[in-house]
Order: sequence, then C-alpha cells, then structure tokens
Amino acid sequence: MSLAPSTDRETSPVNAPHPAPPRPGACARTLARLACTALLAFGAASAQSAEADLRERLAACAACHGERGEGVAGSTYYPHLAGKPAGYLVEQLQAFRDGRRHYWQMVWLTQYMDDAYIAEIAAYYAAQPPHTQAADVGAPALPAAVRERAEQLVHHGDAQAGVPACTACHGAALTGLEPAVPALVGLPQDYIVSQIGSWRDGTRRSKTPDCMARIAAALSPADIRIVAQYLSHQSPGAHDRPAAPGSLMPPLTCGDLPHAQVTP
Amino acid sequence: MIRRIALWSVLIALPLLLLGAAIGGVLLLRQGGLAPYRLPAGTAAAPAAGDAAEGAYLARIGNCLTCHTVRGGVAFAGGRPFRTDYGTLYSTNLTPDPNTGLGDWSVEAFRHAMRHGVSRHGVLYPAFPYANFAHLTDADLDALFAYLRTLPPVEALPPPNDLQWPASWRGALVGWRMLHYRPAPLPPAPADAPPGWLRGRYLVDGLGHCAMCHGTRGAQGSLPTEGYLAGGRIPGQGWYAPPLDARQLARYDVDQLADYLVTGNGEHGAAYGSMAEVVYTSLRHLRADDARAMATYLKSVPPHGGDEKPDAGRFLYAAAQPAANPHNGGRLYQDHCASCHGDSGEGRGHDYPPLRGAVSVTAPDPVNAVRLVLYGGMPPTTAGNPRPHSMPPFAGRLGNAEIAAIVTHIRRNWGEQDRPVSAADVAAYYGIRGD
Repeated sequence: MSLAPSTDRETSPVNAPHPAPPRPGACARTLARLACTALLAFGAASAQSAEADLRERLAACAACHGERGEGVAGSTYYPHLAGKPAGYLVEQLQAFRDGRRHYWQMVWLTQYMDDAYIAEIAAYYAAQPPHTQAADVGAPALPAAVRERAEQLVHHGDAQAGVPACTACHGAALTGLEPAVPALVGLPQDYIVSQIGSWRDGTRRSKTPDCMARIAAALSPADIRIVAQYLSHQSPGAHDRPAAPGSLMPPLTCGDLPHAQVTP
Repeated sequence: MIRRIALWSVLIALPLLLLGAAIGGVLLLRQGGLAPYRLPAGTAAAPAAGDAAEGAYLARIGNCLTCHTVRGGVAFAGGRPFRTDYGTLYSTNLTPDPNTGLGDWSVEAFRHAMRHGVSRHGVLYPAFPYANFAHLTDADLDALFAYLRTLPPVEALPPPNDLQWPASWRGALVGWRMLHYRPAPLPPAPADAPPGWLRGRYLVDGLGHCAMCHGTRGAQGSLPTEGYLAGGRIPGQGWYAPPLDARQLARYDVDQLADYLVTGNGEHGAAYGSMAEVVYTSLRHLRADDARAMATYLKSVPPHGGDEKPDAGRFLYAAAQPAANPHNGGRLYQDHCASCHGDSGEGRGHDYPPLRGAVSVTAPDPVNAVRLVLYGGMPPTTAGNPRPHSMPPFAGRLGNAEIAAIVTHIRRNWGEQDRPVSAADVAAYYGIRGD
C-alpha cells in the first residue's frame, strides 16, 4: 500500500488545487471569450505557420528572388515576384514548364511541377508586400532627352510605330493589373531588355494573341534601352498593389488579358 | 609472273573471304538472322483489336510520352532531340496521322517494330528500346497500338536526324546489331521467386526499359549483358544512374522502394534529374501491385561487382591531380548545407534527403552531386509528395573551388569516395542543356 503513488500525484503541479470555480454564467462568457481568442490566435498562427512552411519549401526560389519574392539586393537581373498578380505568376511558371520561356535554371526547377503546386506558389508570392527596391535606384539621373522620350513612350506610346503606352495595360502607376498583367516598376534594366529581346526572337511567348511580341517587334533597339533604363529607375511604394481587375480597359486583345477579349 | 601473283592472291583471299562470310553469318544469326528484316504483311484498315484502356496505362508505364513529346509540344507527336556521341536523333510521331504518324500502320507492323526494331523506314536506332519491348506479350502490344489509335491525329514531321556517317546510314545498323545485339527470351523464373517477381521483371526489363539508363554502356553505345542494371552515365543526359541491385537498394524494404517509385520521394531521398522526369511522366501512375512487383524484382537482382568498391577511375575527372583546395569543405558544409541536411548528413525525414549513403554521395561518378549543388532541385510533384521541398542552386553564389570542397567533404565522409573533386571538375559540369 505504501507504494501507491496517490500522494505523489496529488501534490504534483498538474493536480495542484484550482482556485474556486466562477459562477456558471460568468464561466460560459469567459469560456466563449477565451475560446474565441484562442481560435483567432490559432487561426492566425496556423496561417502563419502554413506560410512559413511553404516558404521553407521554396528555398530554391529564394536564392534569386528573395525569401518573400522581394528580390535580392544588388541583383542586376532577377525580377521580384512579390505582389505581382497570381495569374501572371501562374502563367510564367507554366511557360517555363511548357516551353514558352527558356531560362534554363527556371525550366530546371519547374519542369516536373503540376498545376496545383504552381497555383499555390503563385498565390504565396502574389500575397507578399510588393515593396521592392529598383535595382538601379542609385543610378545617376537620365539625360533630359532620354527621360523625355521614355516618358513619351511609357505614358503615350508611339502611335506611328504602333506602340501603345505601357500604362494602357500595366496601370497608370505601372504597378500591373489584376489578374495577369505584371508591374513594370522595380525591375532591373537588364531583365527588361532581355525580356523584350526574347519576345522579339520568339524565346519568350505569351498566350496568343501575343501582344507583347507585337509591341516588342515594333520598338526600335534604342527605344527598348531607353524604356528599360527609365523603368528600372522607378520604384514601387510599399503598398502599390496591381490595379483592380476591370479598372482599366486595355486597348489590345491579348491572350493574357482574358477580360479584355470582349473589346472590339 | 603476273599469273603466279594472281593465283597466290586468290589462294589467300578466298579463305579470308570465306572466313569473313562465316563470321558474318554467325553474327547475323546471333542478332536474330534475317527474320527481323522481313516486314510482315498486314493492312491498316483492320480495326485495332487491343484493349485501349489497358494500353493507356501501359503507355504511361512504358513512358512513351517522355521520348515521343517535345517540351511544350503535343503529346506523342515526337520531335524531341536526343544528343548522342554520333549526332542528334529526333523521336517520331506516334499519333495516328496517316502521313507523318502511325495512321497507316498495321498492328502487325507495330508489333514487328516494337519487337525487332525494324519498320518500313529501315532499321531503327537503338535509342528506341526494342531489345526491351521484344519481351512484351501480344496482348500488351495490341493494347498499346489500340491506345495510340485513339489519340487525336497530329500532322508533325520530326526534324531529320543529324548524324555522322556511318551512323547516318541505317544499313550500318545491321553491322551494329551483328556486333552488339543479342536478343534472347527472358529465362524462366527461379523456383523460389516471391509473388510478383515475374511481373516485376516484365515491367523492369520489358515495358519499363530501366536498363536504358541504369545499364553500363559498352562500345558504340551498346548495352552488353554484363552491364545489366550495373549503373553508369546516361547518354546525353548529364546524369549518373546508379546500379539497381540488392546491395544498392539494401536501404529500402520492398514497400519503401515501391513507395519511392510512385511518389518520387522517401526517407532515403527524392528523385532528381532524369529519374524525376520518369516519376513525373510515368511511375507516379503505377498501380500499387505493379509498384510492389517492380520493387520485389529490383531487390532480387544480384549485386554487381562482387565486394569491390565501384571503380571511380572509369569516370573522367577533369584534373588528374587536383591542386590542394584552399577551402575548408567541412566549414562550408556547416554554413550552407547543414541547416537542411543535418550536421552529420542525416537529413530530415521526408523533407530533406540524408547524404549518408545517398547515390550522389556514394557513386563513383561525382556528376550528380556537383550538378545538384550547382543548380539545386525540385522533386517531381506526385500525389504522395504534392508540395516538394526544394534545394537552392549555389551556382553564382559559391565559387567552383568552394563547391568542389563541399562535394569532396560530403563524399569522403559519407560516401567513402576518397577521390577529391576539383574546381575544374565543377567547371566541366557547368551549364544546363535544354532540349
């Protein structure tokens, strides 16, 4: 009998005497409040841990694009992903996988990836704060003539060459347009030049009708450099989200602009 | 005088010619005689009698898709390039288009091409695994053909092959077959073969044609019997495929191995490189009993090379005597690798593979380890591993000498591979070559 552990258990902290229980009504209210707070905290914590879990899985992406897709300081090429429309990011991951884009490091990482994981990854980066540093923010100011020509192209286009304004599709603030047009600010100059060049030689393709391929073909090499220089000097603000879907009507019918396909 | 020379010439030449003819005759017999070159009669009009639904599954497991589809192209329409030591080959269109595909093929012609590697286009290049498909049953061949007939016809002619002479001449393939092709039926199953063994061998040696990558290649790209599943560098792929046998697979029990085939992942590591592609396009669709059968057979393959350690010398290292590496591989490992792979290379469950005993670490050929460190990896998404953990690329972040130091450290400590990897070796494996 002396070996019975009952005394030990009674004095253990687990079974330490409780304070006197509150009255039943108070108990219900307190419990509800506690449960509610706990649930909220749990929900937030699990959303947070789910995000942390995905972030850990995407270590390969972080190497060039940053942990939250914010870009890597000092990078002269890799684009940021944070805050870009999810539809755009899905389309790009599929393009690497399916042969519409050919940057081999990206093909290497996406080639055996199914649509479900692609959608989850895209949603993660789309939800991140779009605050990025333009790679060339510290660069010296552009000469006045260059700046003038760039602003003309970006805000008004070149009707004679058949080039619409960048802002017509990418938004007045160039922060993109939901669900599938990316921001043009906060990108390194070399990346922009390289993409326009890829559209020109067919190594980057968008869904048909491929508007950007047409625009890239219509731009002169000098204008490409000027626009890229100008854009790479622009940095988005911390809260500059892409424009809401349908908030502007692009002048073109493009494969990546489903809502614009009704325009004549 | 002239007459005497002529007489002696004939006396010498005639036996030589006869000897040559005799040897040629024997070699011709050993590659199957003349039967492979006699194409069967048959009409395309005959309806495909096979079980198309079963054929769809068999086409998946035979992985026709991977070779017969170009990245981003229409499934089965061909055109994927294969770079070999003899030039570039392009896969053919398997859709039932009458002009550019199999639209006007008879089932007899299909069976013959699958089994003998000869069609009306001539002798097929041995990149097409007819030596494996020769083991398929009539029912399975007919099912495959019936399935291919259900595909939407696509008019697509692959680019012409770009091969050096004499490989560019299909007639030369008869000579290649005389030297290197020895068709033989699979031997009967041993009396004590466990359940599923026979089906497993059928899938491994027949439909799955595993030895195309996992065999040791001999002269002129051949697959000699002694290299059966003995491992080696995969032609044109830039990856090393390990041997498949009881010793190499000792880490796995049958269920774990079956699970790896279907999910491309497990506690012993994830599929990468060419195997990731095979899992993604093919093996993830394996029926559970077939996966178990393959695992059962693979674990029964007798170990290769007795007790010797595989010979690292047969793989080319860029530097015969690498200069002393100025970097401390152990410290670099701690800084860049240990957070995922563990302080002692133990890995972390199904998330991060252990390095201790991993193929890339124990293999005589360091190419897999180097390329994984250079370019990272993302295992295939499968039902069993829908959200894989990735490995970051280190190219551009670490120098060649640093990468060499890490790989040498890992392989020495956890792979018993003493041969150091040099910065020049790393440089030699640079570059991702796409299709």
